[in-house]
Amino acid sequence: MRFGRTSKAVGVAAIAALALSACAESGGGEDPGTGGEGEASGGAVTVAEVNPFTSFNSDSATGNVDINGKVSYLTHQDFYYVNDALEVIRNEEFGTYEVTSEDPLTVEYTINEGVAWSDGEPVDAGDLLLSWAVQSGYFDDENPDAETGTTYFAYAGATDGLGLTGLPEISEDGRTMTLEYTEPYADYEIAFGILDTPAHVVATGGGLADEDALVELIQTAPAGDPESPEDRPDLQAVAEYWNTAFDTTTLPSDPALYLSNGPYIVQDMTPDQSMTLVRNEDYAWGPEPALDEITIRYIGDANAQVQALQNGEVDIVQPQASADTLASLEAIDGIQILEGEELSFDHIDLNYSGVFEDENVRRAFMYTIPRDSIVESVIGPLDPEAEPRNSQIFDIGTDGYDAAVPVNGSQEFAEPNIDMAKELLAGATPEVRIMYNADNPNRVDAYTLIAESAEQAGFTVVDGGLPGNEWGSALGGGTYDATIFGWVSPGVGVNGVPQLYGCDSASNFNGFCDEEAQAAMDELIVTIDPAEQQELQIVVDTRLFETGYGLPLFQSIGINAADEAVQGLTFNPGLVGVWWNFWEWSVA
Amino acid sequence: MLTYIVRRLIAAVLILFGASFLVYILTAYSGDPLADLRQSNAPNREQLIQQRIDLLDLDVPPILRYFSWVSGAVRCVVPFALTCDLGNSVTGIEVTQLLGRAMGQTIMLVTAATILAIVIGITLGIVTALRQYSGLDYGVTFMAFLFFSLPVFWVAVLLKEFGAIGFNNFLSEPDISFFATMVCGLVGAFLFYLSTSGSLKRRLLWTAIGFVFAFGLIWFLDLTGWFLTPGFGPIVVALLSVGIAYGVTLLTAGLKNRKALYSSLIVVAIGIVAYFAVQPLLDRATLLMVVLLGVATVLVGLVVGYFMGGYDKRQNMTAAGLTAFLMGFLILLDRFMQAWPSYFNNNRVNGRPIATIGASTPNLEGDFWVRGLDTYTHLLLPTIALMLISLAGYSRYSRASMLEIMNQDYIRTARAKGLGERTVVMRHAFRNALIPLATLVAFDIGALIGGAIITEQVFAFSGMGQLFVQALGRQDLNPVMGVFLITGIVALVFNLVADLVYSVLDPRVRVKA
Repeated sequence: MRFGRTSKAVGVAAIAALALSACAESGGGEDPGTGGEGEASGGAVTVAEVNPFTSFNSDSATGNVDINGKVSYLTHQDFYYVNDALEVIRNEEFGTYEVTSEDPLTVEYTINEGVAWSDGEPVDAGDLLLSWAVQSGYFDDENPDAETGTTYFAYAGATDGLGLTGLPEISEDGRTMTLEYTEPYADYEIAFGILDTPAHVVATGGGLADEDALVELIQTAPAGDPESPEDRPDLQAVAEYWNTAFDTTTLPSDPALYLSNGPYIVQDMTPDQSMTLVRNEDYAWGPEPALDEITIRYIGDANAQVQALQNGEVDIVQPQASADTLASLEAIDGIQILEGEELSFDHIDLNYSGVFEDENVRRAFMYTIPRDSIVESVIGPLDPEAEPRNSQIFDIGTDGYDAAVPVNGSQEFAEPNIDMAKELLAGATPEVRIMYNADNPNRVDAYTLIAESAEQAGFTVVDGGLPGNEWGSALGGGTYDATIFGWVSPGVGVNGVPQLYGCDSASNFNGFCDEEAQAAMDELIVTIDPAEQQELQIVVDTRLFETGYGLPLFQSIGINAADEAVQGLTFNPGLVGVWWNFWEWSVA
Repeated sequence: MLTYIVRRLIAAVLILFGASFLVYILTAYSGDPLADLRQSNAPNREQLIQQRIDLLDLDVPPILRYFSWVSGAVRCVVPFALTCDLGNSVTGIEVTQLLGRAMGQTIMLVTAATILAIVIGITLGIVTALRQYSGLDYGVTFMAFLFFSLPVFWVAVLLKEFGAIGFNNFLSEPDISFFATMVCGLVGAFLFYLSTSGSLKRRLLWTAIGFVFAFGLIWFLDLTGWFLTPGFGPIVVALLSVGIAYGVTLLTAGLKNRKALYSSLIVVAIGIVAYFAVQPLLDRATLLMVVLLGVATVLVGLVVGYFMGGYDKRQNMTAAGLTAFLMGFLILLDRFMQAWPSYFNNNRVNGRPIATIGASTPNLEGDFWVRGLDTYTHLLLPTIALMLISLAGYSRYSRASMLEIMNQDYIRTARAKGLGERTVVMRHAFRNALIPLATLVAFDIGALIGGAIITEQVFAFSGMGQLFVQALGRQDLNPVMGVFLITGIVALVFNLVADLVYSVLDPRVRVKA
């Protein structure tokens, strides 16, 4: 058969047209303007975060990044949360906990009926037991010196609290767990929480039949004993799954890996760019959030965050605080700036040895420290009204701080007193070597001001500043007499106190060891009454000033900013930052 | 030739081993991976330190750690092994996965900027060489060096301030004041003054035309609300396409070649018909469809050129094909502009289209055109920033190369035998002037993958540069080495390619085995 040129051309054109329409978008003609959840009643906000999300298990060693914890806070509910005044607030709609006996300390946790993961599986026995097993390190039998045994769950938190408990009892209905401590534990209130990871998912992922099998495994396996470690392949598989399976930067294809038992659930993730959370429709056990949708965008650069806020791409920013950032934020119309003291604070510590072995020399040095000038030069540009921190233990703004400051002896060092220092030195000219991070301009400023003032009293100050990658390992090494650096307060709990000031404890770098303080701390960690805890902490705080430990300098300043339309935001120094009351956020 | 390549490849492998060892050791000793934990007062400080030591294998000396890394990395290069293991990052994510994504982001960010910089830079270089020591030459040279010496983070911040925040504010009330229109007119006049030559009277005339053109254009665009509802419409597309047809023919075949001119004009005529014909199809466009249409467009041009016949079919085909391609591009642009209002009013964009961060608007829903515009608005500023800075290199190199060529004997010979200036410049000089640039371009494409650390940081792109810097800050060696491996391999390969291409382009250069 022969075809003419024209019919060939028509044929080719027809085939081409067919081919093109075959690759057309199906269902086309959709109006893009009406899509998206943003138009629903509650509104949506976009929040800038510095770090990109990496894991749905924020409790593990690899997932222990601030952003993972924040997403977990949005998607999980727990027995308590910490508010912006650093108080522990119970969440009675989720569950309750109460001390049923003080000797031995016994705490009973009950999860309310109806509390469930977003796949319908209730939060119950398995979740309680798995959370306990991970947070107690009950099965760990690793002996680092002999290099035997295993640490099963790579838990990033501290296990010393729940480590004092034995295998808990679970009630018939699986919703109540009773923990019995072998000795009283001061921070019992924040020792236990429900993990991010649903027990039924971990059970099946770890090769077990179901959640009941996991409950069985935890209840029957013996406690780990570093002296005689044993192989436990079942537990090993479960722990391995828990340690690694939840790390991801893309939305997992299996929804079980990102189940929610809180107000929001993850809907979408663009790796290293953004994450979108929407309401968890089943959630009814806690404060109901006003917003329908929250988008998190990862912006590392502080200035880029500010400009993105100005351009309306994000509604809330949490940039690294600096005078420049504050100035550019203040130049923008229509935004609110939230400022406050963060939990990290700089301090100068004097060694209880060498030139500072004599208490008079230590106190003389403390009299020369110009804390007002340091505050003015370092954080004055961020907050002109900032004041020096007057307690080693309590954070500015807490009840304990207000109670401690008048009595802890800090007032003596409010202003530098060169005459007093000279008197104490009595003509001596001790040589003091001060170590600090020479790559941190704030520390350099502090050092310069301290050195200048100390020399007026007769001290000979030697600059012992070290580069950023060396000063950390020099801590406690005895190569200096005084050091300027920073600590991050935990905000809640008293367990950190002996960690810093206990005789020979791991973070006690200057050799402070005081009988009275030690006795108070020994009592502190077994005291569960908050008022008594505060009294004991004040005793320690006072001894620190009296014996010439050194001085706290200032708490750093944090800055958040948001579009004026977003309401309900307050500054929060704690771990989750501005997110702490996300359910109260609304868009005008 | 083959032995030469093999020898080079073997040398490359040795270089990679040596360099990776050096980088590994230097990085390992560059900082203290436990720095933040040392000043931690967490009750479980010791446990956290132990965990990090386990994660990063800090208890193994760096030299031994290097060999354990290399034993995994080597398997990536061995063919058919399929067990590539570059390790995990501190956060437990596989490095191969991180690298794949970072490369995608980087390529997206830098490709357009590099291509534009090459095309515009070379064009500027050639033009300024042909008009050596003119006002245009001095002007371009001045601007090129100015941009070259600006720090990119500063340019980026300014671009965001005026190009995004300022422009978006302008779009919410797009009224251009008389003063601003006047300034635009004066800028137009100045540009026309610079780019014309001849007697003062002639130049002043062109300057006046430039002023009227720029002033009129801005005034007209403002009056018709073009900034909110942009578009060409068929008439402007047709007019521009006829202009393109003449321009392309002038450059490729010369206007005297009537067959070529007519082929181009016929293509334009077909294009006008096609403009109306494809609109309904374009409403349901996908990327594949647009690519197919593009191929079809060029084919139509080639076919038209072929059937016009004449003594040199190739010239017809080049002219018509290029015209068809450029006209197709115009139609595409027009369609994108038609989609602008629906993008602009999308509730995710909210009337502030030009973005300052990231690669896309999260949760944006829309068709091909809306998503395309979204990519455009996100890439616009970083592309401009990167392009401005790399313009100087290309324009200066190509200017120098063109000047050298234009003084060669064979150019004088070509002129002496009576060839027109167009043929001399386009056929004899231009092509040869590009040869030295081939090396430069090959290197730059190799460097592309390495990422643009600062630009990525400022525009919140998570490309190779950011992956490298952030991992370096955390002392997380596996991602650092992953980035190094990729950039190292690409650099070595393109180095080799540059040498080979050079020998192919310039017959005087021979590769000695």
